[in-house]
Amino acid sequence: MEFDGDVLTIGLDMNIKEIEEFGEFIQARLEYLTTIEIQEGTALQSSALLSLLVSLKRSHTHLNIPFLERGSMSSQTHGTLHWIHYD
Amino acid sequence: MTKQEQVKAIFIEEAGEIIEKLDINIIRFEENSTDFDLLNEIFRGVHTLKGNANAFGFTRLGEFVHHFEDILDHYRSTHESIETHNLELIVNSVVVIQEVMHCELNEIQELPDSYPECLEEIKALLASKKGACEKEKVLPPTEQMNDLTAEFGSDITPSMDELLNQSIQKHKKMQTEDLKLYKIDLTLDSDCYTRGFDHLLFLKMLQEKSSAMESFFEMQNVAKLEAFHVHENSIGLVTSIVLTPLNFEEICEYFEYLFAHEYKVELLAYEPQVQEKKDELTEVTTKTVAKNNAPVMSSTAKSTIRIDTLKLDELFDSVGELVIAQNFVSQNEKIHAIEDESISRTIETLSKITKRIQDRVMSLRMVAIRDTFDKMKRVVRDTSKKTGKELHLHVLGEDTEIDKTMIDSLSDPLVHIIRNAIDHGLEADAKARLAAGKKVEGVITLKAYHKSGNIVISVSDDGRGIDKEKVIQKAIERGVITGDENLTESQAFSLIMQPGFSTADTISDLSGRGVGLDVVKTSIEKLRGKIEIESKQGEGTTISMVLPLTLAIIDGMLVQVAQEIYIIPTLSVVESFRPERDIVHAVKGKGEFVSMRGQHIPVIRLSDLFDLETEHLDPWDGILVCVETEAGRIAIMVDELVGRQQVVIKPLGKALAKQREISGGAILGSGDIALILNVEELRPLIESVHA
Repeated sequence: MEFDGDVLTIGLDMNIKEIEEFGEFIQARLEYLTTIEIQEGTALQSSALLSLLVSLKRSHTHLNIPFLERGSMSSQTHGTLHWIHYD
Repeated sequence: MTKQEQVKAIFIEEAGEIIEKLDINIIRFEENSTDFDLLNEIFRGVHTLKGNANAFGFTRLGEFVHHFEDILDHYRSTHESIETHNLELIVNSVVVIQEVMHCELNEIQELPDSYPECLEEIKALLASKKGACEKEKVLPPTEQMNDLTAEFGSDITPSMDELLNQSIQKHKKMQTEDLKLYKIDLTLDSDCYTRGFDHLLFLKMLQEKSSAMESFFEMQNVAKLEAFHVHENSIGLVTSIVLTPLNFEEICEYFEYLFAHEYKVELLAYEPQVQEKKDELTEVTTKTVAKNNAPVMSSTAKSTIRIDTLKLDELFDSVGELVIAQNFVSQNEKIHAIEDESISRTIETLSKITKRIQDRVMSLRMVAIRDTFDKMKRVVRDTSKKTGKELHLHVLGEDTEIDKTMIDSLSDPLVHIIRNAIDHGLEADAKARLAAGKKVEGVITLKAYHKSGNIVISVSDDGRGIDKEKVIQKAIERGVITGDENLTESQAFSLIMQPGFSTADTISDLSGRGVGLDVVKTSIEKLRGKIEIESKQGEGTTISMVLPLTLAIIDGMLVQVAQEIYIIPTLSVVESFRPERDIVHAVKGKGEFVSMRGQHIPVIRLSDLFDLETEHLDPWDGILVCVETEAGRIAIMVDELVGRQQVVIKPLGKALAKQREISGGAILGSGDIALILNVEELRPLIESVHA
């Protein structure tokens, strides 16, 4: 996880405990955070992270999460994933 | 069975279901002929039936359904209101479809007279409608009318369903003979993460064995941050389209640790040889799959796996054995003696899992009675027409669940009772009802509910009620009784269930032969149930079928008398207590009673009933278990309460089948055998015990 000004870069390969910690970490920083980027080469480990990102976007619409807006990703591990949230 | 025969067998089964559903829906539509969504649903069923019928050479059925479909298509396209006589024609057409199907299946050459008559009427109606439409120039292009996709897909906004359909089509193109295409739905419970499961875990395992896989996460339910909990899954549905060489069982193995409701695996039919022949069935199947994904098709989108009921029975038996084994482990004193927390925890987990499995397996056999009640709407409608009586059917408790085996045996008795209620229960005509101060429209109430651990299905009418004196008179005439008996109302009413008994002055083709109710009684008794009749002259009659849950496993209270263990179904138990001496009374010739909250409850001693020697001679030395029965509460006197346990009912065999106060036996965890009390049958014995 890296901070660069108001941009936060995270890896997708968090387990449920790390996601929980990330959730707590980010809560206090949402005021000044503008973008959440995803670290290249990381693969999702838990669907909870996807849910958390959607929840973040739902609560803070100003937040830019390009990964989420892409709507899909492909990986060797999970095939092609699409997420639909109609926001 | 060849492949073709297998496909044909599937068609026959599906066609039967479509026609059954059609029959129910057409009656619903008759009640509200402006419900064009329902008409669309009916149309889809007919369309599928037409395609399948023609594919299997059932040309007579195909031709009829083809014209019938056209007329439905006309009304659904134009939203024109349906004239009463034409609505009648549509409703009657479904009966013809049923008859033609029967002829096709049994290779009967001669079709019923109604076939050509009805077909001609439909053709004439169609011709008149087409003529009218051409004049008005409002008929849509034929290709547009026949294009189901255009029709049903027009109002669907881009959605998960569309993406899924595209994915299915894409993967079908990639499919080869060795690869199967699956649609897998994951609807994991909110606690899945804490149970160690994650959608991606399954996707990872599937991906390892797949040629291609695409998954869709439905994130609609994900809450805003303030209500969001990382540990609770809020993803409603994840659907994966998987192209893999794995067979169905292998795929299902991946999900064996999930609850049954958390996943659904669907093999998307792809038969290259069938497709090469351009078999219409495949096209229809494909369309059905596509339709199933559309939210607007909710009522037809039930996806199920057919399982032989014999396999279910075997599974049921096995779970019964599992429950016994689990009880044995949890009650085993040697195991209890081991002071090891991990063993205790494991036994507790085993107990929880066994209970879950048991609940799931039990629920597999349970189905809502709704479909059976829906079928009765047709019976009510037809009987109403035949008798010329205006009536309203009131249905309650349609969601009450009942064992599938029972449902199959319930239709005929229900039909008999309903026909009887309309034909004889209700007043002869409107004039008679008005004279009795009632509305012209009679009311038939069909109700299902649970009572005292039983399921009750009742049919009530607000008609004239049963004339007790007339019933007794008829019974004397037929030699059923001598006339010396002092019959209670209930006993008198039950005479109408005797074979050949009828108080009807005229015999109609509906009822009044004294056959129906006798058949009803026999059928219900075969299900270990009973019939109860309540009636008030001038107000109406209620005939209730009281049925056991029939589930092979019951929750029981274990009680001890002398050295014997008996089981009382927990559902019947109200309370248990050791009575004070001053609330127990003995009435000469009538037995013992215990006074509770102003009620005098008869006491029945199990030791007397089963001729056991006990040291507890007085009720205040023992325990009274108060149970609810159909005839009121009774207090069963036992020596001790042993505990509560799930037990598997084992039949007693022919020798003990007539022992009515016992409904079965059970093997306890200790390996001992206990008898299950049939509390409903205990009351009549009170008199004999204490007389």
